[in-house]
Amino acid sequence: MKFSFTDDQRLFAEGLRDLLSNECTPAHVREAWENHTGHIPQLWTRLSEMGVLSMLVSESAGGMGGTLIDAILLFQELGRAGVPGPVLEHMAVAAPALANTSWGPSLVDGSQIATLWVDNIPYVAHAQVANLVLRNEAVITGFSTSDAHGIDGGRQLFTISGGTETSASAEVFGLPASDVMALASAAYLIGASERMIEVAAEYARQREQFGKPIGSFQAVKHLMSDALLKVEFAKAPTYRAAWSASTGAATAARDISMAKALASEAAYRASRSTMQVHGGIGYTWEADLQLWMKKSWALMRAYGDATFHRRRVGASVLSK
Amino acid sequence: MDLNETSEESTFRAEARAWLEANVPTSPLPSFDTEEGFALHRVWEKKLYEGRWSAVSWPVEYGGRNADYIKWLIFEEEYYRAGAPGRVNQNGIFLLGPTIMEVGTEEQKAKFLPSMASSEIVWGQAWSEPNAGSDLAGIRSKATRDGNEWILNGQKIWASRAVWADWCFGIFRTDPTADRHRGLTFILCPLDLPGITVRPIAQLDGDTGFAEIFFDDVRVPLANTLGEENKGWGVAMATAGFERGVSLRSPARFSEAVNRLIHLWRTYADPTDTALSDAVTDVWMQAEGYRLHTYQTVTGMLEGRAIGAEASLNKIFWSEMDVRIHEIALQILGPESERMEGPFERWVDGFLFSLSGPIYAGTNEIQRNIIADRVLQLPKGM
Repeated sequence: MKFSFTDDQRLFAEGLRDLLSNECTPAHVREAWENHTGHIPQLWTRLSEMGVLSMLVSESAGGMGGTLIDAILLFQELGRAGVPGPVLEHMAVAAPALANTSWGPSLVDGSQIATLWVDNIPYVAHAQVANLVLRNEAVITGFSTSDAHGIDGGRQLFTISGGTETSASAEVFGLPASDVMALASAAYLIGASERMIEVAAEYARQREQFGKPIGSFQAVKHLMSDALLKVEFAKAPTYRAAWSASTGAATAARDISMAKALASEAAYRASRSTMQVHGGIGYTWEADLQLWMKKSWALMRAYGDATFHRRRVGASVLSK
Repeated sequence: MDLNETSEESTFRAEARAWLEANVPTSPLPSFDTEEGFALHRVWEKKLYEGRWSAVSWPVEYGGRNADYIKWLIFEEEYYRAGAPGRVNQNGIFLLGPTIMEVGTEEQKAKFLPSMASSEIVWGQAWSEPNAGSDLAGIRSKATRDGNEWILNGQKIWASRAVWADWCFGIFRTDPTADRHRGLTFILCPLDLPGITVRPIAQLDGDTGFAEIFFDDVRVPLANTLGEENKGWGVAMATAGFERGVSLRSPARFSEAVNRLIHLWRTYADPTDTALSDAVTDVWMQAEGYRLHTYQTVTGMLEGRAIGAEASLNKIFWSEMDVRIHEIALQILGPESERMEGPFERWVDGFLFSLSGPIYAGTNEIQRNIIADRVLQLPKGM
């Protein structure tokens, strides 16, 4: 029994954090929101060069040959930076699922962009910047898009129409795309939550009222500690879910659901508490906090919300 | 990352399971916070010791098995699975013992550890005072040097197990000019010395699980000092860190309680009540999350990472989870939840006990302050 990451896994995640601290600052994310693409082309290129986009693609297909354990800390780092665009969809599902099709090479090197339409919902995130959309049984190309005005500027939402369908599988490591995305989103939400808490802690150290930093008040300390508690206790279940998914464990679906339920609730708590700590500034467009809050509010319900996933866990553990 | 057990770990688990199945008393012992129950639990501890299962993580020379933290967790899982008795000498084996191993002299280790492992000596904890609870650094009980002895004077309160325990470990002010957490010394003291009065305190459940201890010119040798003179705060905090961090409430305790809760739900609850089934699922996830988090923490410790203020996160998590598990059980029990005796008394008694969790070992509010100060780096201040 060994519940830890290897040095290589940690170092790769640190490398990604370094890259994102330069290429995906809040200013970059804002620009992607405000130009209505929800996408940073320069960042996409760098993620491709680093091997992030092809992390889960086999080496024989030109990828990094990583497992979901190798990828889970990367999803978390993407969340810390609030990375916009179809990075999760492309990296976690589309590239590995389609690696051995004619689309494979261009998805592996990132020259084409894929997004997903996996749930039974009317909207497709990131469709405008995507060359192709992977559904459960098909790839759609040549579609047209209509803006559905998503709340998260880094996850632009569309309806799509027309286009050509080609049959294809959306399974990765024997798991349906929705499960892989639930796992990736759980890790992303943990990263986003950590960042919201850091940003709010920094604000609480600086902002003074009654002649003292507000972070010295117990009401603020306890709000922040409780938010951190939920995030910290969502981590191990999320890493375990990555292990279960990577090893084909019989409990993989249950474990992924546990991770997504806990991470979704942790992220919502983090968003509420950190906004409260910011006071009026937290309710402004100007505060960067919204970059992670709105991502959290989108992803906590995408790919199954906490109630859906809790009941899937319940169906597994409460039945005789 | 490999969450499968090694063959060595599986062998250890099988050995523990076999021994426990053969030796755990078939009917539950009376509470160790009664005179009869205390004596019976001491007998059980002796049996555990003879099988070398009382302190598995300790070195072999002191009666342990040199088990690493992973194996300790495995032992705990088997212990709770077997429905084995509560650990009457927990204060000694899991709190004081590791501290003695860390800061004690060789003489102290030889003198105190084997008798602790066998529960020939059962330990009580004597830290809090009437005016030093959450503000533990406000300790006023004092120890004054006289030749080769300390003279102890003052009053301790909430001393767990002190009613029938043999010795206690306390913190006393030894430098009256020093302020707060400076000038305190960690001292070990027999509870049958002249000048000691132990006054039991009845808990919410009526049992006397803790007591007041009055010290009136009690003399103990200077050799009973654990760690350096005037450095007792650091010694105590090492103990408290371990207590909150890993050992006080092992995950197996809650996994076992949730398994019993699920059984209760299956037997008595309305399965169409989704609010209730959601609540049961939620505490299952909490117990499982705590188990996973602990395995992760322990792997980190084995790889050389220190546990710090994360211990405070653990303490809040398990104590609030324990309350929640019992609240849900009482909800399922309905009118039966009002009875202190009967087929479901373990749940009702467990509920009362769970309510002490957010208070003892440092209240959860103090833990939230610690997390805010040390993990989130928020400014000090009340």
